[in-house]
This record gives sequence, C-alpha cells and structure tokens, in this order.
Amino acid sequence: MLKVKDNDLDKLGLLFERYKKPLFGFFYNLNKDQELSEDLVQNTFLRILKYRHLFRLPENNLQDAGEGSFRTWMFHIARNVSHDHYRKDKIKNKENVEDWQHQLIHHEHKSSELEQQDEQTLLNMAMEKLPADKREILLLSKYQEKKYKEIGEVLGCSEGTVKVKVFRALQELKTIYQQLEKRV
Amino acid sequence: MERNRVEELIKKYNARTADATEMQLLERFLESGEVSIEQLEDVNILQDKFEQIDNGSPSLQLDDHFYTMLTNEKRKEKKFTFSLPTWSAFLPKLSFAVSFTILGFFMAYFFINRTAAPEVKQLTQEVSDLKEMMMLSLLEKESATDRLRAVSLTDEMQQASKTVTEALIKTLNKDANINVRLAALEALKPYVGDSSVRMALVRSIAQQESPLIQVAMAELMAAIQEKHAVKELEKMLENNNTPEEVKRRIQKNLEVLI
Repeated sequence: MLKVKDNDLDKLGLLFERYKKPLFGFFYNLNKDQELSEDLVQNTFLRILKYRHLFRLPENNLQDAGEGSFRTWMFHIARNVSHDHYRKDKIKNKENVEDWQHQLIHHEHKSSELEQQDEQTLLNMAMEKLPADKREILLLSKYQEKKYKEIGEVLGCSEGTVKVKVFRALQELKTIYQQLEKRV
Repeated sequence: MERNRVEELIKKYNARTADATEMQLLERFLESGEVSIEQLEDVNILQDKFEQIDNGSPSLQLDDHFYTMLTNEKRKEKKFTFSLPTWSAFLPKLSFAVSFTILGFFMAYFFINRTAAPEVKQLTQEVSDLKEMMMLSLLEKESATDRLRAVSLTDEMQQASKTVTEALIKTLNKDANINVRLAALEALKPYVGDSSVRMALVRSIAQQESPLIQVAMAELMAAIQEKHAVKELEKMLENNNTPEEVKRRIQKNLEVLI
C-alpha cells in the first residue's frame, strides 16, 4: 500500500487481487446482492485510490503490521461505503417494508426444502435473520481473521468490547440456528 | 482462586447450565481476556462452521470495472509526472515547438475568422450540444461507473450550460453513490463564479449526510468565502448525527469564513 501511496498505482492491482474476494464476501454476506456487492467493492477501491495519501502505518513499522493495518483501513472504508449506501437510499428499510411478502415466500420455500439442505444452508439462513450490526461484527471477525484488536480499530472500540460483541452475536446466531433446526 | 472461578464458569457454560448472572460474569471475563471464545464450546464450534460458509465469488465484470478505473487513474497521473531532467533535455525543442504551435493557432484563428467563422462556431456548438446530451443520458444510467463518466465529461466542456450545472447539482443532492456525488462537487468547482451555482451549493449542504461530502463542502465554502453558507454549516455543527471529526473540520472552516 505504501507503494500505491507513492503513486505506483500498478501495485493497487495486487491489492485488488488479494482482497477482492474477502471484500466481496463481506458485502455479499451483508446484502445477498451480487451486483450491489461488486459495486461496493469497486467503490471501496475507488476510495482507497482517492484517499491513498491518508493511509498511515502504525508506529511499530513491521511488515506484518503493514499488511494488517492496510486490511484494517480497507475494512474501515468498506464499512463506510456500505453504511453510506444504505443511509442514502434507505434500501434496508425499503426492503424490510416492501419486500416482506417476497421474503416470506422465499423463506417458506426455503423451509420446505430444508430437509434436503445441508448445515451451511441452515447457517446461512440463520445469518440472514441476525440483526445487521451482529452480522457485520461476525463478518469482520471472519475476514479480519479473528484479529479483535484490528476489528476494534475499525469499529472504534476496545479489543475486549469486540470479543463481547462477537460472543453475543454468536450466542444469538446459535439460538436462531437451533430454532431453525427444530423446524426441520 | 480466581482461576478456579473462571474455570468453573467455563464448565457451567459448556454444560449449558450458566444462568443470566453467570453469563454477565462470563462476558466480563471475555472482555478482560481471562476467557477466550475458543474455550466456549458451543460458540466456538459455531464460529468454525461460520468460517466455512461459502462467500460467493465476484464476476469478471468486477475485474473489468476495476482495471478500467485503474487505467483511467494512471492516465490522469501520467499527465503530472514529467521529471525535471526530461524537461530540461527537451526544453529547447519544446519551446521551439510551442512557439510554432502558437503561431499556427494565431494564423488559423486569423484565417478562420475571416473565412469559415460561422461554420466553425456552428460545429463547436454542435459538439458541445452532443457532449451535453451524452452527459445527461449517462447520468440516468444505473451503473455508478457510467454516472462517473458522465460527470467527468464536464471537464471537456469549455463552458457548461445551465442545464449541465443543474444536472450536476441534482447529482450532488440525489445520487445514490458517494463517489459520483463527490465527483459532481468537484466538477462544479469551476462554476462557483456563477451566483446561482453558489446558492445551490449552499442549499445542498443541508442535504448531505456523508461525512466526506460534508467536509468537502465546508472546505469549498471556506475556499470561495461564501458567507451565506455559515448558517447551514452551523446547523450541521448543532446536529447530533454529525460525527465529531466532521464537526471539528467544519469548525475550522467556519473560523476562516467568519
């Protein structure tokens, strides 16, 4: 990233190749919309390019810390991109209100197929039912490889608070998962 | 003693017999680092399963869009990266070429004005209208990349019409994509001499919710010394939803304005 900051823009291609999939996974698991998720990945990299001069390494300038701090910075931007998108369009609310019927049918359809579904599908469904903030912290934990200190930097809270938030999110996910399991 | 208490609590959690008070205590230990999520069987297993969920894959279209954007950006950068030795080596040749080009322009201008002025003017107008039409139609597209292209088309216009500036203001206020809105703000900068554009920008402040745009607008208002913006910026300062960092930057720009 430091080379990108020094206007060696080809290196951004390397970062894109390395992080496009986790970034896409982060957005996709939040909104389940392929096209929108790709747009948000593109917007994240556009902002990385635009604000590259603001990227800073931590004071203990180690190689790993460099990569870690870029990932933290990238997810910080990704989170803002996602929030800006929803804040502007209020898509989330619109979806909840207007598409409830569609979602109900969708879930009923899914329920009837549960017997043929595997564990991962069930977990995916439980994830969809989880509140957005909890889904977000679990996804950050997954894509930031459980580095709770880094996640704390993205969310602006302490490492300990992140651990508690992850724990609470997992507890709720477990409850929803078990409820869905009973219905099978 | 404390260690025993922690271990007992973990056992209780794993046996699913921990009550609400013990769960609260467990959270306290998690926060202080005395207990890790890996020690809590149920959530640890669930977290492992969650790690294995399929993430989906981006399509090749994403690669296309990204590399187009990168190429455009590199092209823009190249314009500014002439190094000093290159300049000095080519300076004599360059000045010679520039002198001839300027002379050529003067001569062409002289002759065109005398012979084909109406035709050239008409052609220029047609090209400008075409660009305007293209920009307005691209702004309606769903893809953010297309809308960004639309906004950047204004760079090529010698003088934007009222329709164009109004379209840019509408984009600044309504576009769903923050990068497009930022680009629209950037594209409007050359037209801040026009009082109607300035007033539209002042009115637009209240509509902006993105911290990036709020800061960019405050900085623009300070740069053009638009005193009418003071009230709007103060409202933003009073708004509880405005992030602290944005408030700090607005305050700084207000000091320049007042």
